[in-house]
Amino acid sequence: MSPVRAVFIKELLDSLRDKKAVMSAMLFPIFGPAVIYFMMTAMISIRSEVQETAVPIQNMDNAPHLIRWLTERGVTFERFDGDARDAVEAKDKDFVLIIPDAYQKRFAESRTAYVEVVHDSSRADAQAATQRIASLIRGYNGEIAALRLITRGVSPDVMRAVEAREIEIASKQQIAARALTFIPMYIVLAAFVSGMGVAVDSTAGERERSTLEALLINPVDRSVFVTGKWLAAAGFASVGVILTMLLCVIVLQHIPLEELGLKFQVTPMQVIAMVLATFPLAFLATSMQLLLGSFAKSFKDAQSYIGFLVFLPMAPAIFTVFNPIATQTWMFAIPCLGQHLLLTDVMGGKPVPAVGYVLSAISTMIVAAGLVQVTARFFKRESIIFS
Amino acid sequence: MITVCNLRKTFGDVTAIENISLTAENGRVTGLLGPNGAGKSTTLRVIYGLVKPDSGSAEIDGTDITTSPQAAQQKMGVLPDQLGLYPRLTGREHVQYFGRLHGLSEDALGARTDDLIRMLSMETIADRRTEGFSHGERMKVCLARALVHDPGNILLDEPTNGLDVMTTRTVRELIGQLRDQGVNVLFSSHLMHEVSRLCDHIVIISGGKVVAEGSTEQISDAAGEDNLEDAFVKLVEGVLN
Repeated sequence: MSPVRAVFIKELLDSLRDKKAVMSAMLFPIFGPAVIYFMMTAMISIRSEVQETAVPIQNMDNAPHLIRWLTERGVTFERFDGDARDAVEAKDKDFVLIIPDAYQKRFAESRTAYVEVVHDSSRADAQAATQRIASLIRGYNGEIAALRLITRGVSPDVMRAVEAREIEIASKQQIAARALTFIPMYIVLAAFVSGMGVAVDSTAGERERSTLEALLINPVDRSVFVTGKWLAAAGFASVGVILTMLLCVIVLQHIPLEELGLKFQVTPMQVIAMVLATFPLAFLATSMQLLLGSFAKSFKDAQSYIGFLVFLPMAPAIFTVFNPIATQTWMFAIPCLGQHLLLTDVMGGKPVPAVGYVLSAISTMIVAAGLVQVTARFFKRESIIFS
Repeated sequence: MITVCNLRKTFGDVTAIENISLTAENGRVTGLLGPNGAGKSTTLRVIYGLVKPDSGSAEIDGTDITTSPQAAQQKMGVLPDQLGLYPRLTGREHVQYFGRLHGLSEDALGARTDDLIRMLSMETIADRRTEGFSHGERMKVCLARALVHDPGNILLDEPTNGLDVMTTRTVRELIGQLRDQGVNVLFSSHLMHEVSRLCDHIVIISGGKVVAEGSTEQISDAAGEDNLEDAFVKLVEGVLN
């Protein structure tokens, strides 16, 4: 058995027996998709509830035409008598629609007729329902106004001097991908979380337990130890990444996204593409943790340094928000950013050039291997054992 | 055989060893005796290659530790100052891990591990995780681990420190057996009776220098005392004053 393999197997065995490390490595991949599932289904059920819930209305008989118009558009009503303010404040109702007594008279005289929507804008859960009724009433206004202009021999176009017409070119799947941008970030994050326990335990942990002296007396180059430890930690991280991804895909397929007007479809080929895109990150993340872990004298020490690494996978997400420029080939060569772009594109159903995969994999692995070399050099110092 | 010539090592302003020369021959037990802080551990660490000397050299069977550390390390088994066991691995797994790092084949390793477990009478603990082992049990695992590649030179840093009577006996018997097989045993201790009982050759270190060398009798005679302990105290105090 080669020494690298011996170190690799020992670290793997040691870590698998560490229940805490296994738990923390596996909890992350399960936790995220579960949260996504419950959040999205809750969001969807709020939306569909909005359409089903009857609109509480006061003095319905004051505006028969408006009511008929709304009813034709699928709105149902329930009569509401009492104090609208109190009801909204007490959260009995999301909002209350009031038709004042003056409505009919003003409407008949072609003056602006008011209806009142009593609502509380600080209540996030009531926003959707309120906005829906407000937008329907705007629609009614547009229609009535146009008719009135026509009867006066004026074209309704007079009212619309300039109008912006939006032409949406993103596919529905891309819109879904944007709604789900946090998923690529989460998968990238999994690479940083799942292997951390192993990376820290096999460096700072060895120093803390004073096991390095006995280990380093063995007639093996120090880089062999670092490489074996790296591969074991990267193995853990890869499993974490792949598990996170598969669970995310499974969860997305079980969320009724169509009800949001979104579409999410992945083929097995896309899943493979996503795995290929992300797993080099497992090697990079653990090489960084190994280096920081070697500087630390104890597990606690290491965790406080490594905590900052978590910001790294978030950087590309922030970058793409503030620099919404088109993806260019060189971007794939930047570790973390490259993976983020690849995942976003694959999930959005956009074709990704092969050069994207190759560039991001190679650059990530080069940086990782370089960091492993630095760690190996650090392992050659006396201070790694005796301080 | 281990030959050490004019070793010197400083850590910052502190001179850990000033000038140490010694020879540990095969088939002999050589004891490195000295008070705490005399430089015993540092001398051993230079010999097993974890500390680089500022000057001087250490050779193991003719191989220089600073120029070809791995070839030299291959020739020795070491029980270091810090035992360093992995709590989640069993005794057997410790022995196997080190055997693999020494490049033993799986067949040879299996047989050798069984032999060592028998030799150190650790059959009942070999397949238990070392978490919660007593000091004696831990010491046995470390000894087995140091001997796995059947080295010609054994370095033991304070091997009987804090052991109970039973385990101390096992260690003594093991040292005797190894000597009889022609192995070179070099061990450090500050326990006088341990050294006078086990060693054929004694090197007394104080203040980073060798102050006396020879058999128990030679050292006592040279100091003009009847026993090793009085001789030791006289020699060490002589250096410190």
